[in-house]
Amino acid sequence: MVLLSAVAVLGLVVMSPGGTGPARAAMMATIKIGVDFPMSGGEAPNGVPSNNGVLLAIDEANKAGGYKGQMFEEVLRDDAVNGVHDPAQGAKNVQELIADAAVVGMVGNFNSNVGKASIPLTNAAGLTQISPSQTNPTLTKPPDALDIRKTNPTAINYFRVCTTDDIQGPVAADYAFKAVKARKVAILDDQETYGKGIADEYEKEFKKLGGTVLSHDGIPKGTQDFHAILTKIKSENPDLLFFGGVTTTGGGLVRKQMPDVGLNIAYEGGDGIVEDEFLTVTGDTGNGTYGTVASINADKLASAQAFSAAYKAKYNQDPGAYSANSYVAAKIIIDAVKAVGPDRAKVRAWVAALKNYKSIIGPFSFDQNGDTTNRVISIYQVKNGKWVWIDQLNFII
Amino acid sequence: MNWALFAQQVVNGLSLGAIYAVVALGYTMVYGIIELINFAHGDVYTAGSFVALAALTLLGATRHTAAAALVFALVVALLASMLIMGGTGVLIERFAYRPLRGRQRLAPLLTAIGVSFSLENILQLWKGPSPVPFPQLIPNPFHNIGPVSVSQMQLVVIFSSVVMMVFLHFFVQRTKLGKAMRCTAQDWMAAEIMGIDINKTIALTFFIGSVLAGAAGMISGLFYGNVWFINGFRAGLIAFTSAVLGGIGNTTGAALGGFVIGFIEVMTAQYVGFQWAEVAIFSVLILVLIFRPTGLLGQQLPERT
Repeated sequence: MVLLSAVAVLGLVVMSPGGTGPARAAMMATIKIGVDFPMSGGEAPNGVPSNNGVLLAIDEANKAGGYKGQMFEEVLRDDAVNGVHDPAQGAKNVQELIADAAVVGMVGNFNSNVGKASIPLTNAAGLTQISPSQTNPTLTKPPDALDIRKTNPTAINYFRVCTTDDIQGPVAADYAFKAVKARKVAILDDQETYGKGIADEYEKEFKKLGGTVLSHDGIPKGTQDFHAILTKIKSENPDLLFFGGVTTTGGGLVRKQMPDVGLNIAYEGGDGIVEDEFLTVTGDTGNGTYGTVASINADKLASAQAFSAAYKAKYNQDPGAYSANSYVAAKIIIDAVKAVGPDRAKVRAWVAALKNYKSIIGPFSFDQNGDTTNRVISIYQVKNGKWVWIDQLNFII
Repeated sequence: MNWALFAQQVVNGLSLGAIYAVVALGYTMVYGIIELINFAHGDVYTAGSFVALAALTLLGATRHTAAAALVFALVVALLASMLIMGGTGVLIERFAYRPLRGRQRLAPLLTAIGVSFSLENILQLWKGPSPVPFPQLIPNPFHNIGPVSVSQMQLVVIFSSVVMMVFLHFFVQRTKLGKAMRCTAQDWMAAEIMGIDINKTIALTFFIGSVLAGAAGMISGLFYGNVWFINGFRAGLIAFTSAVLGGIGNTTGAALGGFVIGFIEVMTAQYVGFQWAEVAIFSVLILVLIFRPTGLLGQQLPERT
């Protein structure tokens, strides 16, 4: 509290000599929105388009005058270490964001295991954290989530605008069973929170549908050579291979090495492979791959047309799979500040009570655990070396 | 038991183990001569892939290049990666390890880790932090040998590794320079008294180990079609483990260790579960070291003076 009031006093000192108009606004402290994504390395194709979404939301808010003349500003942190998202780095970044009293809320992280390390910190600090893309169910759902938000288990501070793997996994299984007509599948996962989570949910649903799961193996970290495991999978004669994980933990190389052992079957993955790096790694072999993304395709929504156009105008490329979600995440924090002022506790309470929020990805509410009520999964496929949207499914529990 | 499948996995184990074995040779030669775990060796191997990739790009080799030009490009790239990595190995020894020779053993070890990080970061700055596609220039049809189908690249990997191992064995056992290396490994002081230039011999050891790593780097790039600056970390760890398993300092042991670990990895994938591959590798290592503390074929280390 001492620190807070010191900052407030400092703020007054800085503000008091100010006049009116833009000169004064420039002198007022900015309202900061923390962001933590993997911004470098093999995962930059995840973090950069998502961060672009956040920047777009902040730009628009500032063009509209900010909050009573105070401008919004992003504080960006990179949680990739040597090109791979890193929970310890993510936790360190989030600690820095918490320590900055001007940060009213944060957007992030991107990867589920980073969330496992950072949510306990934001929960203890009462800082609003909204993720565009973390899809592991345990981050919000009891009983596991009670361990993660153990300091303030009832004051929900972590929210996500994407749906979860207990929905993404089953939808991917549904799609494989009903649309691809696969009856026997083999499953590989990268043994990380996200990869194993989505693969387990996939397996459960596929069996429930009456399909056969021939095998489910994990990949040792850093593996380059998949000939042995793919030979084994080939001998089981499946219709489809499902991969739970991201491109750099094997999603790309598994696909690339399938023809090397003569394994010519359909390949499907979660949102971890639906990005450009997968296309670079797999080259020609990537064609035909299916991928699910736990968000609506912004291009297909009337409400998101303005966003897509603004994004293309500013960055000269199409939005990434999670750009629109990141935009919405940042916009919720901005709207909270506009409604209740730049105060962490008030912002958190406002977001937790959010009902029927009208966003560019459709109207949604946050449930009692902080999960979105919007449960749409998009299906993509690689065609001619590009991820192309082919379908979207609304999952009803 | 499906023996055809077993045989198929034996082939996979051979091609995987061959690369581990060639990298392991570099670890074991350096350890044998100056008792240094050269942690940078795995990264030298990865740097070899990068150099080969650069050479192939420079020569404009693609899958559609005419056969003669393609062979020429592959040979030039192989020579480039071998010589440049050999030179790099010599430079690393000259500037990072030689000044510390004879000091307490922790200092060179930490330096080796530092060199490893430096190489990784140089590669990251050079080609960026993302995995880089490596052109798969050698046509990769399957050859059916009985019930087993072997891909052409697997044959290339196995054949070229065996050639390198035979060459190394011949060099170390049958040439004068090889004899000088063996002498220095046994007792460098006595070797020096006999007129052997210790500095040159140690530099030569680094050169040969790094030449092998450079070649292995290019072959693995062609095989996996992908290089990443961080690959050397796991490759180095597994290759070092192979060297210890076979008996560190012993070149035949390192080659054997590489193949044994390749087999353990593929057989675990086939019969136990891929996620247990590393558990299996290190369990076997521990068991072997309990019953044969000097590895499968016994250590060959300098005599303590």
